Formats: sequence, C-alpha cells, structure tokens
Amino acid sequence: MKGKRGFEFSFAWLFSIIVGAMIIFLAIYATTNYVKTERTIQDTELGKKLGIILSPVETSLESGKTQLISFPTETRMYNDCSPSGTFGAQRISTATKSGVGEEWRLPGEISSFHNKYIFSKPIVQGNSYIIFSKPIELPFKIADLIYILSKDQKFCFVNPPREIEDELTSLRISNINLTSSISDCPSESESVCFTNTGCDIDVSYEGKSVKKKYSDRVYFETTSLLYGAIFSESKDYECQLRRLMNRASELSWIYYSKSLSLSSKGCNSNLEANLAIYANETFSIDNSLRLKNIAIDSDIIGRKNDDLSCKLF
Amino acid sequence: MTTYLANYSKGQMKIQQMAFALVAMMIFFGIVALFYFSIKLNSLKSDAQSLQEQEAKELVRKIASSPEFSWTSTDCSNCIDLDKVSALKSRKSYSEFWNLDFLQVEMVYPLFSGECDKSNYPQCGKITIINNENHGLELRAFVSVCRWEQDKGGYAKCGLGRISAAGINLK
Repeated sequence: MKGKRGFEFSFAWLFSIIVGAMIIFLAIYATTNYVKTERTIQDTELGKKLGIILSPVETSLESGKTQLISFPTETRMYNDCSPSGTFGAQRISTATKSGVGEEWRLPGEISSFHNKYIFSKPIVQGNSYIIFSKPIELPFKIADLIYILSKDQKFCFVNPPREIEDELTSLRISNINLTSSISDCPSESESVCFTNTGCDIDVSYEGKSVKKKYSDRVYFETTSLLYGAIFSESKDYECQLRRLMNRASELSWIYYSKSLSLSSKGCNSNLEANLAIYANETFSIDNSLRLKNIAIDSDIIGRKNDDLSCKLF
Repeated sequence: MTTYLANYSKGQMKIQQMAFALVAMMIFFGIVALFYFSIKLNSLKSDAQSLQEQEAKELVRKIASSPEFSWTSTDCSNCIDLDKVSALKSRKSYSEFWNLDFLQVEMVYPLFSGECDKSNYPQCGKITIINNENHGLELRAFVSVCRWEQDKGGYAKCGLGRISAAGINLK
C-alpha cells in the first residue's frame, strides 16, 4: 500500500491491540486485587500482634501499668466484645491508612482472645495509643482490665475524688486533664463530672453509676470498672462485665475446690457455700445493676477469707 | 483421487504465530503466578504459626500472674498455687481459654513422677491442663510452685516448677 495516503489497519494490528488491552486490563486487575489482599493480610497480622503485645501490659503485683504503643502509620483499632461461650471473646481487628488507593479499607480478619478485656471506643484511631491496665478484685483478682485511648483523644476529669486523682497522676496518663471546674476543660476534650452534672459523662461516685449522653446508665464497683464505664460505650461495658463475671464464676469454683482440698488437710475455711452462691450469682448476671448484690457477697467472702489462717486468696 | 491443499497467506501465518506466542506467554505467567502464590501461601502459614508461638511465649511469661495460677496469699509475682492448678485441671471450660494446644505444670524440685490426680496429689510430678494432639513447639518458664502444708501449724511450702505451653498448631 505504499505510495497511498492513510494507514492500513490490518487484522494483525487489530488483534494485537485487543489482546494487548486485555492483558493490560488483567494485569491491572490482578495487581489491584493483590494490593488489596496484601493490605488485608498486613492488617490481620497487625491485629493479632496488637493483641499479643497487650499481654506484657497486664499487671502481676502492680496496682496499675501504663504503656505507649506507636505505629508507623495511622491505624484504626476495632474493639468488639462477644459474650458467647463460657468466657466470651475480645475481638480485635485493625485497618491502616494508605497513601495509595482507598485511604481506609475494611479491617483485616478478627483476632479473638478469651482472656483479654479491653475498654475503649469501638474504633480507636491514631499513630500512638496510650494503654493502661488495672486489675479487678471482687474479692479475688478476676482479670486485668486494659484501657486503650488514642493519643489524640482527650478527657477532662472535673473534681475527681482524691483516690482517682492520685491514681491518674501516678499512672502519668498525659491525655487526661484534672480540673476543678468544667470551664477549665479544653474545648476538644470529653468532660467527665464527678460532683455535678452537665458534662459529656456524669459520674455518680456515691451511687456508683455512670451516665453518658445518649446512652443508658451503667453501674460499677471498684475504680477499675469505673474507668471501663468512662472509656467504653455502655453496650460494650455491659458485654465485658458479663464476660468478667463469668470468669469470676469459674474462679469461684476453683476456689471452692481449693477450699475442699484444704479442708481435707485440716484447714477448714467454711467458705464453700458462699463461693457456690457467688459462682451462681456472677454466672447469671445480665446487667450492671446487679453488681450491687455481687459486691455485697464479695465483701462477705473477702472478710471471711481475711480471718483464715490458710487463706484461699 | 483429488488432493486439496490448504493455502495460507503470510499474514495468516503471522496471526497464528502471534496467537501462539500470546497463549504461551499467558501460560508462562500463569505458571509463574501459581509458583509465586504457593510460596506466598506457605510463608503466610509460617507467619501465622509464628504469631501463635509468639502468643504462647508471651502467655508463658505472664501466666504465673493470671488469677487461675497465682499464689495470692502473699506477694509473690512468680509463684503459682498448685492447689488452684490442680482444681483448674478439672474445669473443662478452660480448654480454649488461652488459645493454647498444650499447657502443663511440672515439679522440678522436689522431684516426683507421674500425672497428678486426686489419689496421688501432691506426691506427683505434673499437672496437664491442656493436651491437644500434635501440638507445636513447647515453650517453658521456671516458676515457684507453692501449696498449703498443714504441718507445724500450717505454712506455704514452695518448690521449683516449670510451666510448658504450646500455641495452636495450624498445620
């Protein structure tokens, strides 16, 4: 066709363009999917690792512990509580921010832990997380409660009781301000009132209850549960409380067996009946309002145990 | 007898060549991708297994202070209560509690032999709490093992023990 104007679009050209386009499309499709899968894998691994590194934060003899965890990129931690099964499950998943493609994708696969109790917002987002833990003792140690706050998440405690003030000061949690008046609270912080009302979170320290705006009132015993009620959603708090009480029930049966074993050695504690009642009571808890009765029984068991020569706990 | 000869033009031959080359290329890339993904899948499995082992390692370090094990009568961060562990063995609900395939407490000193049960406790060598078949690598930590002894007015008798744990085997 030389010498003629125009370009002959032969079948060979057409074929190679169509097939070439198909190959390029497939390559782009495969790469995009591959990148998405890799992100899901990384997020899943990160979720599991986060759960694992929470173990050293738990206390042994200490009354509390604080730690800062930093991530290379901004990360979202999804905290979910499942009450099913004997001990329920703490479910953790994460998603990381990406500069390529979608900024945030759905979180990776969920990692479940039966022996962890995390109190936080359902989604905690940031580069650094402040993590602190405190044991719950009713009357024996039931578990370590872990509280997770993003470094950007600010709280302002207005007129907290001396006990809380001392504890937060010694734990050196930088994003909790302690003030005597709500007007001194930074504007971006969540206010927590202890003596008056009108804050984002109102605490009745005497009535042992916490009321958040647009949420149901929840009840607590011990300061570890008070922090849990402040830092988490009421629905999650109730779920974690049920899990904790189920563990308390199992522990009661362990102490019950220990008591029988010690009795056979000549050290009678006479706590078997109290422990059996306590185990059933904690197992059947369905909301935090019933904590008050549990606390009364716990107090009785605790006092009886203190009088023993061979202590159960 | 009539003979038919197929006549192919040069252009048709080229198209055929190109089609074959493209098919061969696709098969080649397919094989490479399969090879890559099988290696990737294996490394993913080993990563997941290593995470399970890491979890078991952290648990072994901290399990002595968990309420099911800890000796709480006196302040001792690395002491476990043998009476509680013995009771824990009979609680089936704990089989999946720690995400472990194997969990055992052994007496190192004073040395005894045999698995503990109601008949031989405390003159026995080990208490196995979780024992799933084909468990993975066992990780160990030494602890003080204490129990209440009624002699001489009653006292806490402690010895040397060892906790062994293995993470869930994914293979």
